Amino acid sequence: MRRRTFLKTAGAGSVVALAGCTGGDDQNGTTTTGDSEQTLTVATYSSFTGEDTAGNYLKSAFEDEHDDVTVEFAVPENGLNQYVLQKQQGSDVSADMYVGLNTAELVRAETQLDAELFLESRSDLDRADAINSDLEIDPEGRAVAYDTGYISLVYDEDEVDPPETFDDLLDPAYENALITQNAQQSDPGRAFLLWTIANRGANEYLDYWQGLDDNGVQILSDWEPAYNAYLDGEAPMVVSYSTDQVYYHGPDVDMSRHQVGFIEDQGYANPEAMARFADSDVADLALAFMEFVLQPEHQAEIAVRNVQFPAVEDADPGDEFSQYAYEPPETVTHTYEELQGNVDEWIDQWARQIVG
Amino acid sequence: MTADWNLSRAFQRVALPAAVAATIAVLVVVFYYPVGHVLAAAVRDGGRLTIKPIRAVLTDPFYTGVAHHLFVDPFGVPAGIADWIAAGFPSVRLGLFGFTAYQAALSTVASVLLGLPGAYVLARYEFRGRRTIRSLTLVPFVLPSILVAVGFRAMFSRRGFANDLLGVGGLGPIELLGTLQIIVIAHAFYNAPLVTRLVATAWEGVDRRQVESARSLGASRFRAFLDVVLPALLPAILTGAVLTFVFTLMSFPIVLTLGGLDLATVEVWIYARVQSLALQEAATLATLETFLSLSFIYVYLRFENRQVTTRGAGQSLSRERLSIGWRTLVDPRRLAIAGYAVVVAVVIVGPLVSLLVESVTDPSGQFTTAYYEFLLARQSSGAVGTVRPLPAVINSLVFGAGTLLLAIPMGTVVAIVATRGGRGSRLAEAILTAPLAVSGIVVGIGLLLTFVFGTTVAGHRLVVIGPVAIVFAHAAAAYPFVTRNVAPALGGLDPRLREVARSLGATRLRALVEIELPLVAPALLAGAAFAFAISIGEFDSTVLLAEGVESYTMPVALERYVGTRSLGPNLGPATAMGTVLLAVTGLSFVVIDRLGGRWEP
Repeated sequence: MRRRTFLKTAGAGSVVALAGCTGGDDQNGTTTTGDSEQTLTVATYSSFTGEDTAGNYLKSAFEDEHDDVTVEFAVPENGLNQYVLQKQQGSDVSADMYVGLNTAELVRAETQLDAELFLESRSDLDRADAINSDLEIDPEGRAVAYDTGYISLVYDEDEVDPPETFDDLLDPAYENALITQNAQQSDPGRAFLLWTIANRGANEYLDYWQGLDDNGVQILSDWEPAYNAYLDGEAPMVVSYSTDQVYYHGPDVDMSRHQVGFIEDQGYANPEAMARFADSDVADLALAFMEFVLQPEHQAEIAVRNVQFPAVEDADPGDEFSQYAYEPPETVTHTYEELQGNVDEWIDQWARQIVG
Repeated sequence: MTADWNLSRAFQRVALPAAVAATIAVLVVVFYYPVGHVLAAAVRDGGRLTIKPIRAVLTDPFYTGVAHHLFVDPFGVPAGIADWIAAGFPSVRLGLFGFTAYQAALSTVASVLLGLPGAYVLARYEFRGRRTIRSLTLVPFVLPSILVAVGFRAMFSRRGFANDLLGVGGLGPIELLGTLQIIVIAHAFYNAPLVTRLVATAWEGVDRRQVESARSLGASRFRAFLDVVLPALLPAILTGAVLTFVFTLMSFPIVLTLGGLDLATVEVWIYARVQSLALQEAATLATLETFLSLSFIYVYLRFENRQVTTRGAGQSLSRERLSIGWRTLVDPRRLAIAGYAVVVAVVIVGPLVSLLVESVTDPSGQFTTAYYEFLLARQSSGAVGTVRPLPAVINSLVFGAGTLLLAIPMGTVVAIVATRGGRGSRLAEAILTAPLAVSGIVVGIGLLLTFVFGTTVAGHRLVVIGPVAIVFAHAAAAYPFVTRNVAPALGGLDPRLREVARSLGATRLRALVEIELPLVAPALLAGAAFAFAISIGEFDSTVLLAEGVESYTMPVALERYVGTRSLGPNLGPATAMGTVLLAVTGLSFVVIDRLGGRWEP
């Protein structure tokens, strides 16, 4: 969301608070019982729910369209691992579907479990063919992409010229110039590492990272600390998302520090996907929810509220979003098969080299 | 105390053993069972005992560095050392464990050096605000690492305040971020106040008459300090050092937010292994880490046991006035204190104040109240899944109070066992101190696999989550601090006091409650402050045991505000919540000290 809109919203909120109202009662999750009434429990990450989020938009829009349906969210601290562990322990998976999967997590769930955690969904979805084919992460049709981010560099144009190639980053001109994130725990950090693997190959990427390390790359824990270190002027470039300017634009903002750079004219796609749990009692309802999420108008809303690109070809998130969210000329990503059996090992070897 | 001591003597006799049994029962349920569930994987493979995973870690130079030779080829070690000496002592590879212990040792030294003068000033000088400052010492302890990173960047980055200050003096600039030094300083930020609090409490307990006797027998001030005061402080100093070492050995988020991956600790690896669900490897690393911490604690406790100094119910040393008019400016000791105050202002107060400033500053450097308005908007929002700040404040306070109610008795009975028991009681205490020494990540995953998912008891699936579970988990984490404060104080009491009471017919319990506990009230109070701080700051277990946004605490709410999609990587709302956290915690500490202070002798 844009800063100005945020300020407006926050201001309105405080007025409501002073007036002593509790607005939005209609959005309160009501637990009702009855034969025809159904509850859909959607597991997701915490920033997908709450005030002004894509999750809450979907909940109210879906409930409006389906009488007697309540959508509830679960936001386990461990993400998908929560349900993989539940399945491993032999207890029932306590949600109906998961929203916010990435390819590596899907691979991990598959590796860890003998039983099927997810149901196949793709072949039953009318809207599946509208999805951008670059974002089809699951050859078995269980996980279906609903939006995507592109990993890119954000740089300060007063300090550096954007590197054109991965080789450039090894150049003395970029000494101590880059902040990235730990691939063991951060989504963009992992995506950036995988991008270097796509570029250099699984046999050469460690040499490349030796070069980056020698050139003073800083690897911080996660996106927020890395980005804030960048804003504090610790380095002129940071690994981030190509939607950066959606947050930072307007007359008061110094745009020179929010330039988006695509190395090799590429961006690494990090699609977010949804899937139905095999243990769900309301699998049909979950399927209806997935179909709903893929509708063009909802895709546009998700894009704007989640600050990610729509997964389908025919959604229009509006001019303001399109003006400030950049799509890379070329998209890179790893397929499910490429990651299977490799991704954990790649990350582990990488981390050992950095520390060792 | 006007308790009715006509209670059945039989009841009084069983009360203490019953309290010990209850404490152990609580620990077994909320700590040993879930943690054991995870750690067992380190020595078990398909139902059989095995040392393979542990051996694999010990013999891997990545983990143990040069020490891996000890496990691969122990007989080749002497020859290896000879070669090393012959080669002129080249630097050796530390490995992940070696580096982790190394940074913990450095952090411990830094924390003790920074903390001790603070204890001296608080215990020996009188000045305005002394009591409040003493109450507030533990505030840094509750601050989430992401906010410490915000404060530290504001102070120590290239454009930070410390460099501006150095620039005025024609020095600098210094590059601290991303270095080992900044991690050590950040650890000192957290742990020096702990040393200060522990040592100040001990210092205030030094009997004035003993010092006066020494002086009247001709000892110099310095001699009296060495012979009387220092021995009384040593257990507290060492307790502070041991706690700091154990904490920094398990340091995790701050290392990667300020330092970067090349300064990774064992805990970073445990987290990564848990993330990729390689639980056996995580368990193995955590087991070794815990073993290291507990051995360290045990060695220390054995040492403490021999440092028996007897203390009676004496008066504490009188305080000098810090300000003595214009002579303050030429008095060497007071000037040194002023120099120390500058260091504290930069390392401890600076980052805290920066945080307050950040909470009212927008990215372009202008004043803004938007982040507090954000909190108000969240508070009045009815949208599902919205984390509201006020319930988080209330939950934190309620859980903190509940933790005090449980942790103080638990910690006290363990302290009694540790100081009175016979052989092996120190080993027992070391094992009972385990909640300090086990990775929070492992405790979390243990709770998840047992209570959160449910455990089968007598054919019923039992799920234990919610506020009560949170309070028990906090109490298990917090009670060792009560023990560590109370045990040295109890151990230092003159045993004759108790014996006199017993010979006059008091039961064991009555002697304890009427004679001994009042004498160690300052230590109990310090322990209470620590326990409260642990409860307020706890994150790992709280977030798993919370039933939903309604039982979130302040740190959990704060973490949720960090990851707000609509704001991007904007830490503004988190700094605003952090300020609320600091204010609420600071106020609570003052209240605890003022209320508790009534029972001080």
